[in-house]
Amino acid sequence: MRVSKIQKRKRWQGLVGTIYSVAIYTILYIPVLVMMIFSFNNQRYNYYWNGFTTQWYTKLFTNSAVIDSLWYSVIIAVLATVISVTIGTIGALGLKKYEFKGRKFVNNMLYIPIIVPEIVLAVALLIIFMKVGFALGMGSILIGHCTFCIPYALVTIKGRISGDGYSLEEASLDLGANRIQTFINITLPSIMPGVMSAAFLSFTLSIDDIVMSNMLAGSKSSTLPVLILSMNKSGITPDINALTTIMILVIVISMVLNKAIKNMLKKTKNTEG
Amino acid sequence: MKKTISILLTMVLIMGIFTGCADKNTGSGSDSGKSGSSKELNIYMWQQYISDDLIAKFEEENNVKVNLSYMSDNADAITKLTAGGGQEYDLIMTSDAYMESLIKGDYIEKINFKNIPNASNINESYWTAKEYCVPYLMNYVYIIYNKDKSPVEIKSYNDLIDPALKGQIASIDGARNLFPIALIALGYDPNSTKESEIAEAYEWLTKYNENIVAYGNAEQNLVNGTASVALTFDGNASWAMSELGEKNNLVIADFEKDPVQLGFDLYVIPKGAKHVDLAEKFLNYITDPQIMAKNLVEYPYSCPNDAAVEAASDAYKNDPARDFDYKKNVFFQEDVGEAITIYNDYYQKLKVGK
Amino acid sequence: MNRKNKFKRKTLPALAMAGPVSLWMILFVTLPMLYIIYISFMSRGVFGDVVYNFSWDSYKTLLDTTYYKVIVKSIRAAAITTVLCLIIGYPFAYYIAKKPKEVASKLIMLIMIPFWTNSLMRLNSWLLLFQTSGPINRFLQNTGFIDAPINFVYTDGLVMLGLITSMLPFAVLPMYSSIEKLSKSLLEASADLGASRRTTFLRITLPLTFPGIFSSIILVFIPSLGIYTVTDMLGGGKVLYIGNIIKNQFGAIRNWPLGAALSVLLIVITGLLIFIYTRFAKIEDMEVL
Repeated sequence: MRVSKIQKRKRWQGLVGTIYSVAIYTILYIPVLVMMIFSFNNQRYNYYWNGFTTQWYTKLFTNSAVIDSLWYSVIIAVLATVISVTIGTIGALGLKKYEFKGRKFVNNMLYIPIIVPEIVLAVALLIIFMKVGFALGMGSILIGHCTFCIPYALVTIKGRISGDGYSLEEASLDLGANRIQTFINITLPSIMPGVMSAAFLSFTLSIDDIVMSNMLAGSKSSTLPVLILSMNKSGITPDINALTTIMILVIVISMVLNKAIKNMLKKTKNTEG
Repeated sequence: MKKTISILLTMVLIMGIFTGCADKNTGSGSDSGKSGSSKELNIYMWQQYISDDLIAKFEEENNVKVNLSYMSDNADAITKLTAGGGQEYDLIMTSDAYMESLIKGDYIEKINFKNIPNASNINESYWTAKEYCVPYLMNYVYIIYNKDKSPVEIKSYNDLIDPALKGQIASIDGARNLFPIALIALGYDPNSTKESEIAEAYEWLTKYNENIVAYGNAEQNLVNGTASVALTFDGNASWAMSELGEKNNLVIADFEKDPVQLGFDLYVIPKGAKHVDLAEKFLNYITDPQIMAKNLVEYPYSCPNDAAVEAASDAYKNDPARDFDYKKNVFFQEDVGEAITIYNDYYQKLKVGK
Repeated sequence: MNRKNKFKRKTLPALAMAGPVSLWMILFVTLPMLYIIYISFMSRGVFGDVVYNFSWDSYKTLLDTTYYKVIVKSIRAAAITTVLCLIIGYPFAYYIAKKPKEVASKLIMLIMIPFWTNSLMRLNSWLLLFQTSGPINRFLQNTGFIDAPINFVYTDGLVMLGLITSMLPFAVLPMYSSIEKLSKSLLEASADLGASRRTTFLRITLPLTFPGIFSSIILVFIPSLGIYTVTDMLGGGKVLYIGNIIKNQFGAIRNWPLGAALSVLLIVITGLLIFIYTRFAKIEDMEVL
């Protein structure tokens, strides 16, 4: 009797949890949905719904400036992710494992980009770049993005390093593997989930960044968020909505494709085996 | 979480294919700034302010690449200019209010008008600091309102602080746009440098602030009915009116005595610009009456280029947003020197509130 | 010999591993920050340039009540956002963490995907949705709930909605990660020993997930203290927070020394809050995801 009561309660709790989560996802996705709908809005700026059109998609393909800036954003985000995760991974291992002078200082410095409002760091970097005559452009934006991504990446990875990995590493070294082999074969696999999370987080932080990119952008091209920020005064044109819609579709397609490819690989493996 | 990387890669690949298709018409005429004729022109200006088609035509005619980048605030342009903007830009858009300081600080080049014969089309009476800039478009900062919804018929700035308008005004922002109207309403010089007067203007603006629904986005808020009154530019008013079309119930406030602000957006060549020849070519191109007239179809702002206005479409000439009779009763933003810090202090106080 | 060996075994790898991150932090965090502090003691030129002679002016300006008010207001808004994000986010993180790993990682990804689109666009969507002639007002009017449209836009409520939707993932991720690490057996043991579910939650779950909650607080509180796009867009630019004020000093108003001084003040305040907090809660490391 008691068991079924518990089961009932569990089921009921599961239902409440599901409803609650669906509600939160709905709130997170409503703006995205509205954005997609308004990509078909027949109006110069998105003031209100004014009828259906697909003209913004055609305009998008003739006006390469918008696409260029998206491409620019994606390149920066990918590079920032790779750099931050690389530096973050070896840095996390180094800071956790080795005792050295100034370790505490570096540890504290890592928290600065997290606790300082982004605008402050952005301005600080801008001033330094101007002082030394470093030309603004992709390089400056990339450095800016890495500066706030590295701490997040490092902290994320550090949280996943457990103490018992060391003995395995020692064993590997004793058995004659060199440090790089040990790193690739032993250390890296053990912290892989953390590395993945860090990559994910870095990419997200970089692709949606406005403050840093706006401060450090040069003359040639700007990231998509900066372009949208400059549109904000007069109004955002629906071709940006069209672009965002395509982006979302690309993400969804990538996920589906990814899954399909994995399934296919599994199948071929199964038939071989 | 493990999939992240592979998904990212797939995404990048797809994006690559996707952008590859659209990339064709940008060409590759990128880096070359050698002697002879320049192949690249870098312009820093407002977004949504020049026709894409005209830029494309200029690129095609001269076989060059024009890089447009955009500011989100007038101060952005000043930051670029004072930080040695010539390194990166050949033309920067700024406004008449800054010209005096820019010349004094030696941040901009004199312009060789021999190479810009079309500049003679520009109305001289509007042209300050003539040797250093080419006016592009101009803006009246005036009041329009919804005649069906606004509880007040607006005839002066003082009508704006009527408590009946609470939460109904959409307004442009910025210390040097807001304080002048308060100073005029109080009967002072709109470019006053006296702290006592600015303090009084601040008191006036706190009442104005009570009536504000939002700063910025005036036309959007007028069109969708969030605001019934707007302090805005005539070009933006034109968009709002044409968006409403037949249903247009927006009217320009019928000012009897108070002057309205007239501001210019103009191009300057920053010190050390690398492609001056092409910059001059471009300035001559956009001051061509036929070209400017086409630009005005897309961006119906007031224009100091008389010949272009003459050549413009009837729709532009009969635009209701420019149909008001106090066009001569204007004031300009002037350099207020050190007093700018007084303005900024009071502006912040205004925005911080209680 | 011995020394050389030690260098090879210890110093070299330490240098190779902790070197890059240390170098990066010194070059791009320490130096710029020192420069910000330096500039905060300079004075402002007529044209908004920095004049390099020592002055306390900027810090004297900060004594003005205006700034005190802004800071108090900003901290209050950030605190409310943080508390709401935690209250909303904890059960959500708990729900996800209790799912099988495979499902949970998908659910986490689903939270982040909206953030790959632009945040300004998402904020604009709220405006389009809630504006006077927008679909929500129209729906309420058509169904007869209201007679005249309600003014949702440019209110504190909408700003809060914007802040929460922008910040929620940063609250959920760390809490998810620490809840996920909770060992099931511990919870079962607690239940077996007769503890009520409430006691188990208060005595076991909550304290053990505290590091995650701590990270959430930092990741939400600090950015919402500095963010200016949300208040600008959804608040109609009527009310300025500390983020707007700092941005204006470096932008429209062009008073870099004052902007720098404000930044220093902000760093001191947040640093102090975190210091007190970590001492009080005895937390060493933060975790993100």
